[in-house]
Formats: sequence, structure tokens, C-alpha cells
Amino acid sequence: MDILEEITKILSDILDIDDRNISPETYLIRELGAESIDLLELAVALNSRFKIDVNDDEIFLRKLRQYITKAGQQNKDILQYLAEKIPFLTRKRLEDIITDLEGGPTLKVKDLMAYVEMQRNGN
Amino acid sequence: MQRRVVITSVGVISSLGFTAEEIICNLKNENTSFEKSIFDDEVVVSPIKEFDVKNFAGRFKDKRYLNRGAQFCVASAIEAVKKAGIDKKLLAESGLFLGTGPNLDIGGEFPEIKDGEIDRKDLMALWMLKFLPNTAASVIARLVGIHGENHTLTTACSASIQAIGEAFRKIKHGYIDLAFAGGGDSRLSKSAILAYKKAKALFNGMDDPDKASRPFDKSRAGFVPGEGGAFFLLEELEHAKSRGAKIYCEICGYGASIDGYSMTAPEPEGKWAERSVNAALQEAGLTSSDIDVVSSHGTGTLLNDSMEADLIDRVYGKRAPFIIALKSWIGHIAAACGAVELAICLACMQNSYLPKIRNLDEPCHDRLNFVREEREYPIQSILLENFGFGGQNSALIVRKY
Repeated sequence: MDILEEITKILSDILDIDDRNISPETYLIRELGAESIDLLELAVALNSRFKIDVNDDEIFLRKLRQYITKAGQQNKDILQYLAEKIPFLTRKRLEDIITDLEGGPTLKVKDLMAYVEMQRNGN
Repeated sequence: MQRRVVITSVGVISSLGFTAEEIICNLKNENTSFEKSIFDDEVVVSPIKEFDVKNFAGRFKDKRYLNRGAQFCVASAIEAVKKAGIDKKLLAESGLFLGTGPNLDIGGEFPEIKDGEIDRKDLMALWMLKFLPNTAASVIARLVGIHGENHTLTTACSASIQAIGEAFRKIKHGYIDLAFAGGGDSRLSKSAILAYKKAKALFNGMDDPDKASRPFDKSRAGFVPGEGGAFFLLEELEHAKSRGAKIYCEICGYGASIDGYSMTAPEPEGKWAERSVNAALQEAGLTSSDIDVVSSHGTGTLLNDSMEADLIDRVYGKRAPFIIALKSWIGHIAAACGAVELAICLACMQNSYLPKIRNLDEPCHDRLNFVREEREYPIQSILLENFGFGGQNSALIVRKY
């Protein structure tokens, strides 16, 4: 099962949008307008289609900003701290996220793919 | 000065059509959609074929939470909004009053249900929204930007007339100037059919589906379920005039009551149902002799029709108004029956046309003025009656403006 293809199908279904609006670089919240209720459905769908255990907080990077604040408070290297807390994203991706924070929620389709990949390999 | 309330937009999704023109044309040609249910060939239904809410509302993600009845609600409300021609500011001020039913499609929603276990991997996170009665209201409000006072009424078959009646009073008494009101429902699913069949309320067993819905006929044997929805823009008269709105009719009276008698059967004499009719007449400042047409509830069940025939006989006495029974054309749309019947009544008023009661071969009451042949008639006033499970009674009076 191609992960991107399957995630695209799930997203187009849940958000009722065309496949062509979805690529690995698409922002879920910023561009596709996904709301909390949509993310709930997304977690259920990912769980069911990929047969993985989805932790909502982890996959949707809900604690991202909290982690960054904590790293600052504890005088830790932000990138290092994030890499420990969000192990399914590459350092390169985490660097991008850190520079992208001001634009709004950073979650992209490729982050979901990375999470699914990690969970499947873990199983 | 007493505030008056008029209807300035109509949106309807019915098995007779989606516009007044289509409805009149299909009434005149006797084009109905009665057929055997795909779930039970002893049962007849009146479905709306090729309905897709997307054709009315466009693509929207919340569709996944709408049961079929709620989809008719949303589609007809959007139609009424489109035809209303009011701007965003007025929409934001509008009220929204709906009659909705329960989602009885348990089997369709949980096909593998066993030992009370409904959970499965792909069960939607918010599956409950498909069962909550106010989901339709929430979706309509979001899609079109309505933010005024809102009620969802769930008073069985009387729900949508009560929604319209409550909106009428809110406007009349000055709480709001305009409101969308109506309802949508569908109970043709396997589980819904089972529910009414077990309750012995459904017509059961004749070979020709066209003959199944026969209100007030001696051989009537139960109702035929239909589906659809209708919404109206109700507006204070001066408000409507000041923006040059098209006025379809005036709403002049509303009444409601509850039997306190049985969970399903009507109180046999119609004592309390009569109270709702009299309350509507009183509010309208009319007497029974001012009513041209009674749009009866006329379900085709033994109990309703005998109760209702006696009630009409008592209320109107010798000066018998024309009696129509629209369920002989569209079946019984449960919570939405009143709204859809009002939409058809307005089409008839506009076209000075009275449709016959289909299949009325031998009337169950000999003094009443049942419309047995279609005819032209300059309708000035109509009293609509709806009586529902649980002893819910309602009546609404509309008058040509």
C-alpha cells in the first residue's frame, strides 16, 4: 500500500476535496483548513487503514510549541530536544518547522507519512 | 399595530418535484414515486430518486455527519436561502427553526452489530452526530451564515408545522424579523421500515404500489413512508415589503396540543387535536367558515383518519371546506410532512388548483367535502393539520396575501 496514495484518499474523503490539492508538502490546517473534528476523523481513518496505533498528540504535533517553550526554559538545544520528543521527523524537517512557526500550524501531509512509516516499521 | 408574518421564499425537495411548477405538473399528470421497498416487498414507499445533497449545497465536509433526513433538511434550507435573495447581514440576523426526526437507520449505520458491540476500527470519531437531532441546524447555520434564534423540534409528525408555527410567533411578537423554518426527514431504511411495520402502522401487502396510500378510504390499511424536505423564509410583513420581496402567503394562526392519551394512537375522538385547530383559528381571528381548504394529516391509518374525519365534521359543521390529503401523493414524510405539505399547498394556492385525494374510492365519512376530482379553485385560505406519534397535534393557517 502506497502511503501517500492512501493518505491522499483519506484526506480527500474526510475534507471532501480533490486529490490534486494534496501533496506531501501540503499544510493540513493552514491550507486544507482541517479543524479539530477533522483531525479526530483522520486519526480513526489512519488507525483503521494502516492498522497502526495513532496517538493524536504525537501525529498532529500538538505539543510542538510546548516542547519548544520547555527547551527554552531548560536552556536545552531546541532541535536536539524536538528530535528526542518527535522521533519520526528528520532533523531537516524539524529545522524547517522551527523556521516556519510564525506562519501558523506547521503540520504537513509528509509528517503524517513519516508517522505512519515509523509506526509500521515499529510493528 | 399587530405585526403580520408572510412567507417570502420556498425551498422544497419532494417526490413531486423541486419547484412549484414541477409539483403542479406532476399533480396534474399523476406522476408519483410509489414503489415496493427494496427491503421488504410487502411494504410500499415513496422515495426521491437521484437525490444528492451536493447538488444543492456544493461540496462540504460536514456531509459525512448528515443522515438522509438531515440531508433533506440541509438541501431544502439551502434552496430557500438561495431563493430568498437576502444579503449576509440579514442572513446573520435570521432565526432558524427545524423539525427533524430520529435517525432510525440503525442497521445501515452499524451493519455488523452483535451483542450490543457497535465499535469497529473505522467507526467515525463523531458517529454520534448522525444521530443528534440538531446536526442539521448546525450544518445549515454554518453553510449559509445564520446566527439568530434557533430551535430544533422533534415532536414527531407534527415537528415541522410546529417549527414554522414557533417561528411565526417569534416574528409576530417582535423577537425577530425573519426566520427560516421547515424540516426534512426520511424513514425508508431497512430499520425504519421494520420499526413502523412492527408498530403495525404501515400499509402492508397490496400488489399495486400506486393504490397503497389511500387516506380516508374505507379500505385504507396504514401509511406509506415518503421522504423529502421543505423550508420557508418567514418575514415580518413591513420588512418584506420594504425590500420588495415576493410574498407567497400570510401565516395567520398556529395551534398545538398534546393528547396525553397514548404513545402511538391518537385520542379517538380528537378532542385535543381539535384544541390545536381551534387555537389556530382563534389566533388568526377567523372562524371555521373562513377556511376554504383543509390540508388534512390523512395518513391512511385506520385510527388517524377516523379521528380526523370526525374532528373536521365537528369543527366545520355544515359549511364543509374542501379537504385534500397530500399523503396520497407523496406518502408520509414523518417530521417533515407538514413542511412539504405546506410547500405543495402554496403551489396549489398560487395556481388555484385543488388536487384530488388519490385512491379515495369509498370515503370513510359521508358528510365531508373530500376533493375527489381535481379542480380549479381560487384558494384564499388553507388550514393544515398534522397529528403525530405521542399525541402531538398541530395546525397552521395560511392565507393568500
